[in-house]
Amino acid sequence: MNKMNPIVQMSGLYKRFGKIQALAGVDLSIKRSSIIGLAGANGAGKSTLLRHIIGLYLPDRGKCTTFGCEAGKLGPEELARIGYVHQEGDLLDWMKAGQLIRYVSAYYPTWNRELEEKYIADYEISTDARVGSLSPGQRQKLAILLAIGFEPELLILDEPAAALDPVMRARFLDMLLQFIQDENRTIIISSHILSDIEKVVDHVVIMKAGLILLDLGFDELRERYYRVRLSALGGDLPRELPFANIVDCKRSNGEAIVTVADCPAEELQRQAESADCRIEMQALSLEDIYRIIVR
Amino acid sequence: MLLEINHRSGQPIYRQVVEQIRRQIMAGRLREDEQLVSVRELAAELNVNPMTISKAYSLLEHEGLLERRRGVGLFVARLRREQTNREKAKLLEEAMTKAVTAAIQVGIPRKEAGEMLDKLYRKYDSKSRSDSNE
Repeated sequence: MNKMNPIVQMSGLYKRFGKIQALAGVDLSIKRSSIIGLAGANGAGKSTLLRHIIGLYLPDRGKCTTFGCEAGKLGPEELARIGYVHQEGDLLDWMKAGQLIRYVSAYYPTWNRELEEKYIADYEISTDARVGSLSPGQRQKLAILLAIGFEPELLILDEPAAALDPVMRARFLDMLLQFIQDENRTIIISSHILSDIEKVVDHVVIMKAGLILLDLGFDELRERYYRVRLSALGGDLPRELPFANIVDCKRSNGEAIVTVADCPAEELQRQAESADCRIEMQALSLEDIYRIIVR
Repeated sequence: MLLEINHRSGQPIYRQVVEQIRRQIMAGRLREDEQLVSVRELAAELNVNPMTISKAYSLLEHEGLLERRRGVGLFVARLRREQTNREKAKLLEEAMTKAVTAAIQVGIPRKEAGEMLDKLYRKYDSKSRSDSNE
């Protein structure tokens, strides 16, 4: 398959569960060798979207192809190239963790034993414990190991880090970045913890009510918004601030804190100077940006 | 080449890389004709997506600070004096704008600020220190 082709392609995807329109016309194209962050409130349709990629759900309307193959018809060969970690983390509870690892690894000729051992050590997975007795955090770590051990080309992570403590989350994010060093790989990660995914993603998709509100490279997104502190050099600030596209503004005593959209930093600087103001610029966090977009 | 990525700054990572390499070239820490580490190596070292590094390198190449030698890799370009001067002036202007606007805001007159500048030069620049000792 051509390397430039998207790894996942969705067009006009609709999915309804009873009264709930979970996907309401989704178009999305996912390119190879990036980490895509999927953000959105509960019920926005994130998990539903992810499940369509592997054919766990079939669309009511529209089309989803993965590795160029219709997602509902993915065979064992394609599925063996996809790792999937989901919120519920259904695992075989009666097995010991170590047994489960051996059991799953047997299905994959590409299983990386070295990676497995490193991961068990790094994440302090107790292989002798019964899966059913593991804490939510331990369970999640085990699920992640099972999804990456065979080095899939496409790794789908649905809220993978929610149960991990901060130290483990940081290790987990580091691991994702190591994983992506092989340019043949792609990661899609959905998470509520935007301060986490902001450290690793290079593309952001924001969903709301079954629709995609935003689908943009993270660098571009970051340069789209600035929070500036504007202060008058002499006297008071002009009544009309010198910027277009003001998203938010607070002002008092010759100073203003303004959030502006779609204006390059150099231009902001120039506009502030022409209004005789001192300007300090700050980029917004992904969480700030997210709030602006979904409101 | 010592680079540091700050994930909290909100500044895109490729920009952080571009600015730090630019400074190192201007300060002579990265010398003319010096070869840069490969995209892969740097990405692995900083633990960032290789595409990010490749974007930063292309930008620096486009600005003329780096040059690609076919089949070998990327090198620090030989810069013309005007170009170096322009780059340096830009760095200084950025820093001094902050200082001057801060001074105006708290009402420090031009002359006092100038004296402070001299004092700071004496404090930090070993060359001007030895000049004044003579």
